[in-house]
Amino acid sequence: MRILLVEDDSLVSDAITRGLSVEGYVVDAVATAEAAPARLAAAHYDLAIVDLGLPGMDGFDLVRRLRSEGNPLPLLIVTARDGLDDRVSALDLGADDYLTKPFALPELAARCRALIRRAGVAGSNELNVGALRIDLAGKRVLGAGGKTLDLTRREWSILECLSLHSGRVVSKDRLMQAIVGWEEEISGNAIEVHVSRLRSKLGADATVRSIRGLGYRLEDA
Amino acid sequence: MPRCAASAASAIALKTPEPRRAHSIRGRLLGYLLLPLLLLVAAGFWIDHHTLVMPVYAAFDRSLSRTATEIAAHIEQQPDGQLKVRWPEPPGASRGFGRHPPPRLTWHGPSHRPPSPGFAAPSFAHHAPPPHFRPHETFLFRVSRADGSTIAGNADLVAAPIEHNNLGYRNADYHGTPVRAVSLRTTVAGEALLVTAAETMHWRDRVVHRLDTIIGLGDSLQLLLVLAISMLGITVALRPLRRLREQIASQSPEKLKPLPTAPIPGEVRPLVDSLNTLLMTVRDSAQSQQHFLTNAAHQLRTPLTGLKAQLEVLARENAGGPQQARIAALQGGIDRLAHTANQLLALARAEPSAHRASDFTPLALPELVGAVVSTLLDRSLVADVDLGADCQPAEVEGIHWLLHELLVNLVDNAIRHTPPGGQVTVRCGTTEGLAYLEVEDDGPGIPPDLRQRVRERFYHAGGNGQGSGLGLSIVEEIARTHRGRLLILDGSTGGARMRVEFPAAG
Repeated sequence: MRILLVEDDSLVSDAITRGLSVEGYVVDAVATAEAAPARLAAAHYDLAIVDLGLPGMDGFDLVRRLRSEGNPLPLLIVTARDGLDDRVSALDLGADDYLTKPFALPELAARCRALIRRAGVAGSNELNVGALRIDLAGKRVLGAGGKTLDLTRREWSILECLSLHSGRVVSKDRLMQAIVGWEEEISGNAIEVHVSRLRSKLGADATVRSIRGLGYRLEDA
Repeated sequence: MPRCAASAASAIALKTPEPRRAHSIRGRLLGYLLLPLLLLVAAGFWIDHHTLVMPVYAAFDRSLSRTATEIAAHIEQQPDGQLKVRWPEPPGASRGFGRHPPPRLTWHGPSHRPPSPGFAAPSFAHHAPPPHFRPHETFLFRVSRADGSTIAGNADLVAAPIEHNNLGYRNADYHGTPVRAVSLRTTVAGEALLVTAAETMHWRDRVVHRLDTIIGLGDSLQLLLVLAISMLGITVALRPLRRLREQIASQSPEKLKPLPTAPIPGEVRPLVDSLNTLLMTVRDSAQSQQHFLTNAAHQLRTPLTGLKAQLEVLARENAGGPQQARIAALQGGIDRLAHTANQLLALARAEPSAHRASDFTPLALPELVGAVVSTLLDRSLVADVDLGADCQPAEVEGIHWLLHELLVNLVDNAIRHTPPGGQVTVRCGTTEGLAYLEVEDDGPGIPPDLRQRVRERFYHAGGNGQGSGLGLSIVEEIARTHRGRLLILDGSTGGARMRVEFPAAG
């Protein structure tokens, strides 16, 4: 996996390069937005990390330019600014995610992973969560060791919904809507029953965490 | 922190104290106008009195003096040498009066009848009243010699001192009744005589009084009219000031515009110019404060990010090495520094005057709770705290990222103060028309006597050195920006229950 880092501060740039290299990414760093398009044209990248506050052409301009050229590259914005305005405009322009400085390297790595995975899903229809390989097109899931897990249709729908939002909290209502096509009448308790059955079938391959009062989150085991 | 600029802006827009009414320009103008106007009316009255009333008074006097002349004309020397006043026939054959108006010689009230035995006049009291007859008027006369002896009439009527033209006037008192008397010096048959005529003053008093009343009423009416016109004029003239006040009041501190100078009268123009200078200064300093914050945020956060990330890389490379503990200590320090920098910036950004009304949008609190809990879930897992929510529908008009910041601070605080294995619950809902956000923890709680102090900036409750001591200040500031308030309550299990109440949306 190859990442282009557009960051003018050498201390930050160096640390991110080293940190993501440890995670197994190849990171190319440039210090200006002007230098980015040439690099992107020269090689295939899976993700670009763009700092908003750059000398000369800023991160907004770069995002706008890439998107206007129809470049589908996943874009992660990092910025020292806070406030909703910047966030909204960056996402409106076509950035895929947004991280405010100062951040921890593991968090940055997690975001990169999620963005690359999401971009991958669009092409392959296959998701990896923990030891699970989830085949969205074939509607089946492989556990550790490659054996197919035997899920009911309701359990599959719940897993599908959770895995599409893996790492985020999915509310009970949303899960209900996901399986309402299979069963018209459903109660909150029924969801809990399905989740608990799903949980036991997943075993140690992945965890479905209950968040009191909010819903569920699919996590790497 | 350059907070003063924004405070000045908010002071202008929000905290202008109501000026005391005694200092209203309208009141002062009226005050300055009223005294001269009153003096003017008094002077006018005095002049009118002297130019209109005094001649009337003089006419009465002249009429009285003619009567005295008339009486003098009827003094005759009797064959025995005695002088006597001989009255003419009744008015039907009034030859004696000639061109003069008939004398107003009438007696009323027997008490005024002089007791003098030589008094020959009473007969005319029975005459029919002449055309000039004035009812209730009493007439007196006396003809006396130079030595003071009375020839005819009321012997106790005191003569007036002669001034000129052989005439003299005075106000006298006749048996307790004020009378106007005129004395005429004349000579009959070689003897110097003093003819004194007097009349009571009811009629002339009434006439003078009536004239004075009319003049006074007229002048007062004039004064009232002038005052009313002045009031109207002042109100109209002060209209630009009222407009100016409305324009200033409608200014929002973060978007100060110069006041328009076009329809402003010349006298107010310098005031508007000074105000505009001040407004622009305030706006510039508010803007420069926001620029400063943006720059400070960037200049602080970027190196912090670099340091933090470098230390993380270093820690990984040194895992298990001899420097591991020292690197971990450095990381802790950097994290605290980063947290404090973030909190300081958030506090400055939460300043109520830094936000426009248009920044406020309707927000569903359950969604906010979900987002914040998701953000802090990993931290709670690390701290072994069961983070959960209990959401009822609630909506507020708010600034999303500020409310997010508020709730993050409350939940973060709760996680910090909850022992491992404990519970933190985030709630939202609506009670009695107020939307609320609430975070309850399992920790030691906040004793009532500390509940005010924990709101102070840089106050550390637990003393664990982790927090910046700014969390609750940020919460309070953001609550204030949303016209809400922070309540520190007891949790159901002895922990803290932090509640922020907002006016509900709509």
